[in-house]
Parts: sequence; structure tokens; C-alpha cells
Amino acid sequence: MGLLSSAATFVRYSVVGDIPQNFWDMAADQISRFAFKDIDETYEEFSVGWVSVLNMFDAEFAYASFAAGDHICLTMRVDERKVSPKVLKKFCLKEEERIKKERQIPKLSRGQKIEIKENMELMLMKRAVPVPATYDLVWNLAENTVLFFSTNQKAQALLEDFFKDTFDLLLSLQIPYTTAERFLDASERQALANISPAVLV
Amino acid sequence: MDLVDLITEKRFIGQEFLTWLWYKSDERGGTVLLPEMEEDITLVFEKHMLLEFGEGDSHEKIVCQGLQAELKEARTGLRMGKKLEQARIHMIRGEYEWHMTIKASLMEFRSVKVPKTMDGADEGDDPEAVEGRLLDRIGLLETVYKTFDELLGQFIKIRISDQWPDEADKISTWIHKSDN
Repeated sequence: MGLLSSAATFVRYSVVGDIPQNFWDMAADQISRFAFKDIDETYEEFSVGWVSVLNMFDAEFAYASFAAGDHICLTMRVDERKVSPKVLKKFCLKEEERIKKERQIPKLSRGQKIEIKENMELMLMKRAVPVPATYDLVWNLAENTVLFFSTNQKAQALLEDFFKDTFDLLLSLQIPYTTAERFLDASERQALANISPAVLV
Repeated sequence: MDLVDLITEKRFIGQEFLTWLWYKSDERGGTVLLPEMEEDITLVFEKHMLLEFGEGDSHEKIVCQGLQAELKEARTGLRMGKKLEQARIHMIRGEYEWHMTIKASLMEFRSVKVPKTMDGADEGDDPEAVEGRLLDRIGLLETVYKTFDELLGQFIKIRISDQWPDEADKISTWIHKSDN
């Protein structure tokens, strides 16, 4: 569903704030600073960062490959280790049974069960392979508009935070109301604020 | 009002816009005028529509599928006061054609298929060719939202003006005309 897929799905953001004069230098530094860092060989649970829209394993951006004309094209890659609740439950019950048998006790206390759950979660998290997800974006610098290729609200919220961290600029989602405002002067905007749903039947 | 409230309280604006656009397109046999460029484009509503009604527990949705001429169920839905929330649209501008699904309340562009503009000979792998293809694709996607922005601008000017009651009457007549 991304920028390069045969059926692209996207929403639009406006970038709030002024772009600094030495923007391209700043952008290159910041994109590199916030580039994706692999967690396959670590025990970290979560990693988010920028990669090339052409290759999710390219976080180097040789020759400023994020630039295309007046646009910045990036992919936000998110790798996350997840443990299925059913798997966690199975391992907890198994461990509880083992301990009860070992200690010859009929029941475990609430505290013991919580401790088992924490240990099992940690153990399974370390064994879990990070699951990758990628979300493309295109930033039109001339119009200060960002196309984001996902309608997933969680991904959108993550983008808004991560874009702010990277570029120190805010994103504002464009819905029909906010898009319409751009065509109107102050008095017309007031008129827009006052309209109520029409009855068309 | 913050964005979350605007999304909830003003979702009808996108839905009314999409309904108006269906009426405008149907009125001229699938042709809509882009006033800024004085350009006629083709916008055909086809295959798939989603209408909704009410909020919270009383929220209802109906999905209508069929060819353009067979979207009777969707028109019946409009007559019952349901709002057009999602539609599959075929757009032709100049020599190029796009297909897309518009989700009205949030202005989401879904499953957008852009025209193929380059032939095989242009498809090299050097960085310039890759950048060229990327820019071409971005331009085609931007055309989609810019076209809809212009149409939304046209709609909203009418919607807040004293022309609206007249326009709303025409839409209402069009909705009921499909009874026949």
C-alpha cells in the first residue's frame, strides 16, 4: 500500500512551522541521526528509524538518496518484538505447574504468579524475532505537504512524534474541514465553522 | 476546536462533498468542470460505495457494489438520509486515467492506481532514472489530491454561500429522480 505499490493508500499532512534556510544540510544530519538501527542481534523490544523508500535495509542514504527534486522521500521502519498472549499464557501455566510439582505445593500465591509472568515474558521476548513494518512518506518542500502512506492510526501517531523528533516540525492531519479552510478568508472561515449538517432528502 | 473534535463533529463536510460530487458527475454524464483551469475531467463513481447513518450504537453502514448504472441501492440509501462515506472513483484527466477509493470523512485516498506514463525503454537502474520514476509517480499521486482539493474548494464556496439552498434543492431533486 506504499508509495511504490501498485495501489497506494495515503493521507495528507500539512507541515506546521518554517523550514530553516540551511534545510538540506540539517535534514541530511537529522535523517542520519534518526536512521533505523537494527535490533536483530540485541534484546531491545522496539526500534523506529528512517530507511530508504527503495530498500528497507538501506539506512545509509548514500548521496542523499532521500532527495527527489523538491521532495524528501523516506520510509519509517518499525521493528518490534512481540509475544503472542496465547504463547505467554502457555509458558506461564507450564512454569506454574513445574514449580508446584517441584515444591510439592497445591497453589501459588498471586505474587509468585506475577513473578513467573514477568520472567516468562522476558524470556520469550528475547527469543522473539523483531517483526518489521514500513510506512512511506513524501514531503513536498515547496508546498510543505507530507503524504503518508498508511491509514493506520497507531502508525500515524508514531509518525507525528517521530517527525517532530527528527525535524523539530509539527504535522497537522488534513481532513476535509481543515483543507476547506485553506480556500477561505477569515469571514468565510467563520461561516464554515457555523454550518450544520444538510438534509438532502 | 482540536483535531479529534473536528474529525467527529465535522465529518459531515467530507460526506456532503462526496455526495455533491456524485451529483455533479452524474448531472453531466460523468464529466466535472475544474473551474481554475477551465478543464473538463471525467469522474465516474463505480463499483463500490459505502454509506453510513447515525452515531454510536445506532451507527449503520451499508455497502453497495455493482456497475455504475446499478448503484440503485446507494441512491435509495441517500433517500433514506444516509451519507456517502466511501466511493470508488475512476478519474480521467487529459490522456491519463486513475482509479481510487475516497474515504470522505477523513479524506483518505485508498488503493490509488496511477496511470503508466513511461514505456520500458525509460526504465533504467541508474540513480537519475530511479529519481525520475519516483518523481513521476509522486506527481501522479499529487494530481489526485490536488484535483480533489480544487473540487472541495469549489464545493465549500457554494456550501457556505447563499447559493447553497438552491444547490441542496437540486441535489435533493436528483436523489429523488432516481426513483423512476
